[in-house]
Amino acid sequence: MSSLPTKDIRVLALDPSTRGFGFAVLEGPNRLIDWGVKETKVNKNARSLKLIDDLIDRYQSSIVVVEDYKGKGSRRCRRIERLINDISKLASERKIKVRSISRVKIKQVFAESGAKNKYDIAIAIAKRFPELAPRLPRFRKPWMSEDYRMSIFDAVALAVAFFQPETASRDKAMREELNVQS
Amino acid sequence: MSHKLENYLRTYRKRSALSQDEVAFLLGCQNGTKVSRYERFARKPSLETLFAYEVVFGAPARELFAGAYQKVEKKILNRAQLLTRKISRATPTPMATRKLQILEAITSGSGTGPDKLL
Repeated sequence: MSSLPTKDIRVLALDPSTRGFGFAVLEGPNRLIDWGVKETKVNKNARSLKLIDDLIDRYQSSIVVVEDYKGKGSRRCRRIERLINDISKLASERKIKVRSISRVKIKQVFAESGAKNKYDIAIAIAKRFPELAPRLPRFRKPWMSEDYRMSIFDAVALAVAFFQPETASRDKAMREELNVQS
Repeated sequence: MSHKLENYLRTYRKRSALSQDEVAFLLGCQNGTKVSRYERFARKPSLETLFAYEVVFGAPARELFAGAYQKVEKKILNRAQLLTRKISRATPTPMATRKLQILEAITSGSGTGPDKLL
């Protein structure tokens, strides 16, 4: 990880959900800059896009990471699929690279730390970034809805997966290009 | 490397699990509005507030305001190079040599200031 030339690039990871979207901003694999959930109640996609635009403005990220909803292991509703597409378009308009990472890839990355499911991944993230520990939802029982805070952990998982060596090596060219630009 | 953000106040505040109102109270502000503006880079804090932030988060100002520091550093390095050229052109004297040593320390980034050369 640390041998990568662009270990300090700023990445904005976004995880759209039913309530809005979770986001995480990382500078390199081990420095979490900001995180949170933005809620939207009406006209969800348009409002989410506006909020994402503000985040891009504030953090001037080099790369936006989203879930690859076409990838294996992903189940997303049409609205969220459209929103992910719109996020990609927005980022392209702003000349920001977009990287899609599948759920399977995330599971592979966290399998090294023994995390098998979404909750285990969230625990692994809370261990890696202790500042997130207070936001870790309690274990979800089958009859419970998913806690809205889980989208923060999903967003961080996307960013962490992006920085992993095997994912990163494929993106090396992209990052080197960014390095030249900066 | 990407440019540093203007400041990392929001990061440090969230890491310490404090709300904007709580930080405002510690800084001696009425409410979290000012804190929000500092965090959104919409307002620059006073010198007193900057020191207060150092105390609250236990991090040096150059880390809290990394982007601002980077900008200032870049400007100073440019000016130091200009001054070096100007002094080099003048007649060499012991005073000029000393100045050049200090400017060299600034431009090389190896700990600046005359104290280091004493």
